[in-house]
Amino acid sequence: MFGGLREKLQAARNRLGSSIQAVVAPAEPQVPQPVSSETPAPVLREIPDASVPDEPKPVRFFDKVKTLIIERELIVSEKDVADALSELEITLLECDVALPATDAIIDQVRNGLVGRHRKIGESVDTLVVHALKNALLEVLGTGFDLAEYIREHNKPVKILFTGVNGTGKTTTVAKIGHFLKKQGFTVVIGAGDTYRAGAIEQIGVHADRLGIKIIQHQEGADPSAVLFDTVQYANSHKIDVVLADTAGRFHNKANLMNQLDKIKRVMKPDLVVYVDEAVAGNDAVTRAFEFDKTVGADAVVLTKADMDSRGGAAISIAHTIGKPLMFIGVGQSYDDIMPFEPAQVVDDLLEGGA
Amino acid sequence: MLDGLSNSLKDAMKKLAGKTVVDRAAVDELVKDLQRALLSSDVNVKLVMELSKAIRTRSLDEEPPKGMTVREHVLRIVYQELVRLVWASTEVKLEPQTILMAGLQGSGKTTTTAKLARYFQKKGMKVGVICADTFRPGAYDQISTLCTKIHIPCFGNPKEKDAVRITREGLEALKDQELIIVDTQGRHALEADLIQEIVDLNNLTKATHRWLVIDAALGQQASEQARRFHEAIGIDGVIITKMDGTAKGGGAMSAVAETKSGIAFIGSGETVEDLERFDPDGFISRLLGMGDLKALMEKANEALKPEDVDVNAMMKGKFTLRDMYKQLEALNKMGPLKQIMGMLPLGNMQLPEGVYDVTSTKMVRYRIIMDSMTPGELDDPALINSSRMQRIAHGAGATPDEVRELLKYYKMMQRTLKGLRGGGGPGGGKFNMQRLMKRFSGMQ
Repeated sequence: MFGGLREKLQAARNRLGSSIQAVVAPAEPQVPQPVSSETPAPVLREIPDASVPDEPKPVRFFDKVKTLIIERELIVSEKDVADALSELEITLLECDVALPATDAIIDQVRNGLVGRHRKIGESVDTLVVHALKNALLEVLGTGFDLAEYIREHNKPVKILFTGVNGTGKTTTVAKIGHFLKKQGFTVVIGAGDTYRAGAIEQIGVHADRLGIKIIQHQEGADPSAVLFDTVQYANSHKIDVVLADTAGRFHNKANLMNQLDKIKRVMKPDLVVYVDEAVAGNDAVTRAFEFDKTVGADAVVLTKADMDSRGGAAISIAHTIGKPLMFIGVGQSYDDIMPFEPAQVVDDLLEGGA
Repeated sequence: MLDGLSNSLKDAMKKLAGKTVVDRAAVDELVKDLQRALLSSDVNVKLVMELSKAIRTRSLDEEPPKGMTVREHVLRIVYQELVRLVWASTEVKLEPQTILMAGLQGSGKTTTTAKLARYFQKKGMKVGVICADTFRPGAYDQISTLCTKIHIPCFGNPKEKDAVRITREGLEALKDQELIIVDTQGRHALEADLIQEIVDLNNLTKATHRWLVIDAALGQQASEQARRFHEAIGIDGVIITKMDGTAKGGGAMSAVAETKSGIAFIGSGETVEDLERFDPDGFISRLLGMGDLKALMEKANEALKPEDVDVNAMMKGKFTLRDMYKQLEALNKMGPLKQIMGMLPLGNMQLPEGVYDVTSTKMVRYRIIMDSMTPGELDDPALINSSRMQRIAHGAGATPDEVRELLKYYKMMQRTLKGLRGGGGPGGGKFNMQRLMKRFSGMQ
């Protein structure tokens, strides 16, 4: 799903690289200008080392020249990268990274670049890739190994799926059921979406096809009761994993969120998984935040990643709630789900780099 | 519902309203704010750039019309360009026709199909629905359950895998109906065989309308997807769904711009009644902080008798317990208070969150308590002293605390509505630039 993002990032990277090269290089032959009055004599200032500075310090021309002469290095200034960064900003926005997340990443890259000392001969590209990579990894965090988690915890492991309407919770439950079954776990599904017409039939058909036991009540029944029964069933039949489907709900509907809270109290899930779609735009931030705040979220599943999406939602959600992305859904069949590995994805995005 | 976008836009406007001279810097600043506001509402990046360029150029180049201050001039341009962005409203005729629904997975096609069926049914048409979603398990159960509830014939066959065949049989079976809506499977533009399927369905049904259903939360993908659907079957209208969440529908705006069509309806709730006609003037007015009286009236006319809610009296700030009683009664028919308030011309006033926090069970309690009041008390709640309060509580089987809580709620509502006095007023929903200008001038 990150195809588009990769392309754009490559372009942004080249742009960043060349703008640093272009601006820094001609600065060399210039004669140091008199230090202006508001600038204290920087003679005694400690020269920051090559690691990322905690806060961007204003890079003065004097420093630049001094570093150039003494250490044979160049300092990247904020001005050097401003244009390229604003281009990167547009790139991220075009890839559906929400505005707040975009701002954060840009800041991070700026901090990673500005004030950096570049050894003459060190490739600009390395510097840029490094900064981008750090920023993305920082945001995406580490992945989440579900199978490992289940092995390490007391059975049954109860997993509750939440999210707004139409993101693909039911399909995801079926896919994860299939995934876990292939890993040798026993699984039971609780049909907790008792609201939407046809939802019970939908998950029922999935469970039948996959040969997974399903616990279901009537349409309109109390979802907490259904899921409680599911947990009971798992306990008495020594089932490894309980997958609890729920009805889609909007985070601004207090009553529905309270219902989810009740479900949580009743079934005591080990994991709350928040499901959203890869094609969502800025709202991904708002709703992830609200869901995390009201019912919590331990991991995230991103669906519909096959829709030519740029994957920005992954970055937005990860930035907002800081929870690991567990799986991405990439198609309509049961096998179309893959574990998410941030390091690999980031390498892939910036491939050909450092 | 468009709170987020309209708030950021209002902030941007406010900044401009504070300026005495509109110079290049001021316009640039506004355009920058506008860009951020639109971007964070998921409007397509390219579209935002075009829009802001047009506003900048026109603001600086065009001569302001006589009698209009420079500031009003810029605001007018912003308004015009925004209207241009959402295009015209799609015409919906009440005549025999076939409507083909298209959209991505999970955008809400099936729910919207039922809502549309209900909409046309209420307008007095004979409606039938064909379920051509042969892929998703439970799809037929879903649409047939919804249709049964509103007594609309629904044709489908969960065993059949050929959508074209089902549709052909469906058209035959429902040939007595005036209006047929074909619900289709969710698909995205990269699934070539599914795109071919919908092309086939379009050729078969010779659909009068091909409507694209777009989730309000859809991001930058909206343009691209809309373009591909448009190339395949020629989209002539967009329906925005899930507008009751916090998403702003900027993606749908981009889709409309891409297909050169209009927004036919917006869906904003989970019941079959939660569908509104889209009205671009109202949409923009609401965006800019003007209430959308027209939509409220339309909804009110359908659900209520005129005496049920006296908006005019409310607007004048005269709001008694009796009005609140009527409002509570009307609530079931009109939907949640927040939805109704969103349509009133509240200007840029923020309502205290507490106003909405009253749950429906509490509403029922309140009505029972008010049933125990005398007409005099209903007209003038100030009469209610502690002994009257005891009596009311006794009569309603409630505690005096509950009565006190009700009065507190009433006072909050009253305060809120008082703030509206002089704002907007019932103008039949016609957008009035002058009035908008006055409101903006008053804001600084």
